[in-house]
Amino acid sequence: METEISNDHKYSIACPSCDLIYDLSEVPVNSSATCSRCGHLLTQTRENEFLRGVCLSFSALVMMLIASSYPFMQFSSAGLENMMTLPRTVVELWINGMPWLAVIVAAFILVIPSIVLTMILVMQLIMLYDVKTPLVAILGKAIFHLNSWSMVEVFFVGVLVSLVKITKMASVVLGVSFWAYSLFALFFVFTMMSLDRFQCWKKIEALS
Amino acid sequence: MNHAESTEKPRTARELGLASCHLCLKLSADEHHYCDRCGTALHQRRPDSIQRTLALLITASILYIPANVLPIMYTDYLGRTTESTIIGGVITLIEMGSIPIAAVIFIASVMVPLGKLLTLFYLCWSVGYRKPGNERQRTVLYRITEFIGKWSMIDVFVVAVLVALVHLTGLLVFRPGPAALTFAGVVVVTMIAAESFDPRVIWDNKEALDER
Ligand SMILES: [Zn+2]
Ligand SMILES: [Zn+2]
Repeated sequence: METEISNDHKYSIACPSCDLIYDLSEVPVNSSATCSRCGHLLTQTRENEFLRGVCLSFSALVMMLIASSYPFMQFSSAGLENMMTLPRTVVELWINGMPWLAVIVAAFILVIPSIVLTMILVMQLIMLYDVKTPLVAILGKAIFHLNSWSMVEVFFVGVLVSLVKITKMASVVLGVSFWAYSLFALFFVFTMMSLDRFQCWKKIEALS
Repeated sequence: MNHAESTEKPRTARELGLASCHLCLKLSADEHHYCDRCGTALHQRRPDSIQRTLALLITASILYIPANVLPIMYTDYLGRTTESTIIGGVITLIEMGSIPIAAVIFIASVMVPLGKLLTLFYLCWSVGYRKPGNERQRTVLYRITEFIGKWSMIDVFVVAVLVALVHLTGLLVFRPGPAALTFAGVVVVTMIAAESFDPRVIWDNKEALDER
């Protein structure tokens, strides 16, 4: 009974929303499969998906490095001025007596995104060059556990809202890091969109 | 886009004695305790889905009160300190004439968290009491709450940015208030609540009703 099941359903998937079984062994490239009962997107196939993933995650990581090492914004009023960098958002919360909030913000906007991106880059490189290693499964597990806790794009909107709130109080100068972070948020969102859970694990199974 | 055709007549993994891994989607025999492919703990349905979700929702609702009553930020302007709450911040923005931004903050900080709590309460209630209804619509509702959950963090990030940016000692200083932490708590707890709810129970409910 058991062997029969695993053979029959080698490329099968149960819809994560309604449990209906589908055979996804023949989804053509550049198309997607949706559950006919509940509408859940089951998988999406793209040409050169691993190369695309490598390029996107690498670009995002470079932007992240620039964003965290240069001035983000400068605020000045009545001859006084203050410069802000990305790590300062976390440090200032800590100094102001809110260490827990500092930890949460650091995790959501810096730590988790950079860990997830680095792991995606390594995983996609392994997949691109077809390296057989058990490491790929470990990376896959960690990536899919962590990826719902990245809030890069949310933080970016938060930055825009803050800008509107204070432009009327004083003058704000945007730094290199602000533009780098905008690009980082963009590349990050595209990296996440290019990551298809079903296709990824199919490849991981073949490699480990 | 092509709709995937179900193999023969539609069947669920549970009917076939299979369990789908929530992490890697692999189907394993239900007797297995761990996924054959990635080793994650295997369950046909998320364990105690409704009870866990409800417990987390109640926690989030309790945290939601101080998050709205307590100040989210303090402003020291020329030696005078003023406090602002989430709603206060929205009102200030409207007074400043920034209606679109006020709308963004109002949607993200008030409507999204409240809507999420109410939707998840409704889903738990409708499944728990086996209420008939439109399953597809309920599934879409669930997926929306899952997707928009993290966008409520906008206000917390606004506080983080303003505190770091606006620090002109003696003139103008922004400091974080306790509501920033409790509000972040509300967001995190509701995100975990959404994750512990299993949308497949909506369809189990339908199948049980159909058999009657
Ligand atoms: Zn479905
Ligand atoms: Zn698995």
